[in-house]
Amino acid sequence: METESIYGDHLPELEAVKNRLLAEIDTLRKTVKDKYGMDPVEHCLARIKSEDSMREKCRRRGLPETTESALMEIHDAVGIRVVTSFISDVYLVRDYLASLPGCRVVEEKDYIRHAKPNGYRSYHMILLVDNHVYAEIQLRTISQDTWASLEHHLKYKKTLNQDTNLIVQELKRCADELASTDVSMQTIRDAIFQIQKDKDR
Amino acid sequence: MKILLAEDTRDLNRVITVALQHEGYEVDPVYDGEEASAHAFQNGYDLIVLDIMMPKKSGIEVLREIRSANSVTPVLLLTARAEVDDRVSGLDAGADDYLTKPFAMKELLARVRAMTRRKAEYGAGELKFGDLTLDADKFELTSENSIRLSVKEYELLQTLILHPDRDLDTGYLLERVWNNAPDATSDTVWLYISYLRGKLTSIASSVKILGERGGSYRLTLQPD
Repeated sequence: METESIYGDHLPELEAVKNRLLAEIDTLRKTVKDKYGMDPVEHCLARIKSEDSMREKCRRRGLPETTESALMEIHDAVGIRVVTSFISDVYLVRDYLASLPGCRVVEEKDYIRHAKPNGYRSYHMILLVDNHVYAEIQLRTISQDTWASLEHHLKYKKTLNQDTNLIVQELKRCADELASTDVSMQTIRDAIFQIQKDKDR
Repeated sequence: MKILLAEDTRDLNRVITVALQHEGYEVDPVYDGEEASAHAFQNGYDLIVLDIMMPKKSGIEVLREIRSANSVTPVLLLTARAEVDDRVSGLDAGADDYLTKPFAMKELLARVRAMTRRKAEYGAGELKFGDLTLDADKFELTSENSIRLSVKEYELLQTLILHPDRDLDTGYLLERVWNNAPDATSDTVWLYISYLRGKLTSIASSVKILGERGGSYRLTLQPD
């Protein structure tokens, strides 16, 4: 007997929301590129959470493994990660997605302004699309994405068990150094824009 | 506090060593220029006292070696009364102060206190202003979050924190932070002020830097 998907027959709706959000981000990219000559987005990833991870998450959260849990209680069945060039682009994309017709922001966490103690920086937002599908959007710059990806690759928590204090401290130092470069690059870009504006006047 | 004392006259060396130890300093006494140089490169000191006239290597030669290795440890020179040229070349070679022999022990101790105090106040450790902590050892700036600063950003912010709520003009900052380097201009200062403004915002600090391009800058507390 074939096991039924935890998503029931809702997979096509999830796909549709995922594709719509991706198309919207593409539209924004083109508009900004035409206007300012710069693509605000470096790359963009999207996924529907796999059957296994969704069931695992239900168990972890103490929820029954039902379609109701997967679609209504857990909010990242649809997940989109937007990696931007500059810090200001994170907020540009955030504002654009939040103002789309039919999209409502139900939760957001700014871990860029308020970094996690380990140095993690990213902007998290849950959108409710057309009142029936939730999507989790993660927005961050290339440097922030670099840190998050490399930190994930290290898997030091499992191999080292204890004694991770120095490693955690050093990883946080790397995050703070990358954040510093991010702010400097943003400042340089703002300065270039200002010089261009002064010239055009 | 650890002091390197280079003085070839054994009796005088002994007297100064005992006096400094009595004041609570840790002292490494040496008796010629070569020894002084070797010690200066092997250990960290908070102050170096160098007699100018020493066998093997003069105090000024030792001083030049130390400074050419980019060491900024304060140096006090001991000179004979007649040696005006020595005092001038000593200060030019990077000495921070000098004392003419014969001197009163009281005065030597007062100068040592003054020179080591300067380091304690402006050097290592932590500086605080408003919700900010600036860590000199890690070049780390902390408020709600933390961020790392570059050397020039650190020196600029350190200067601002040491003169809080006061207008510092671009010329002063160019002199103090950039040592009037030929490639540094008022735009350089402006860009580094802009870096710091971005970094203050990124750690959610309510400390602001006021001022316009080319003018004066003022560090102040300004909650949103």
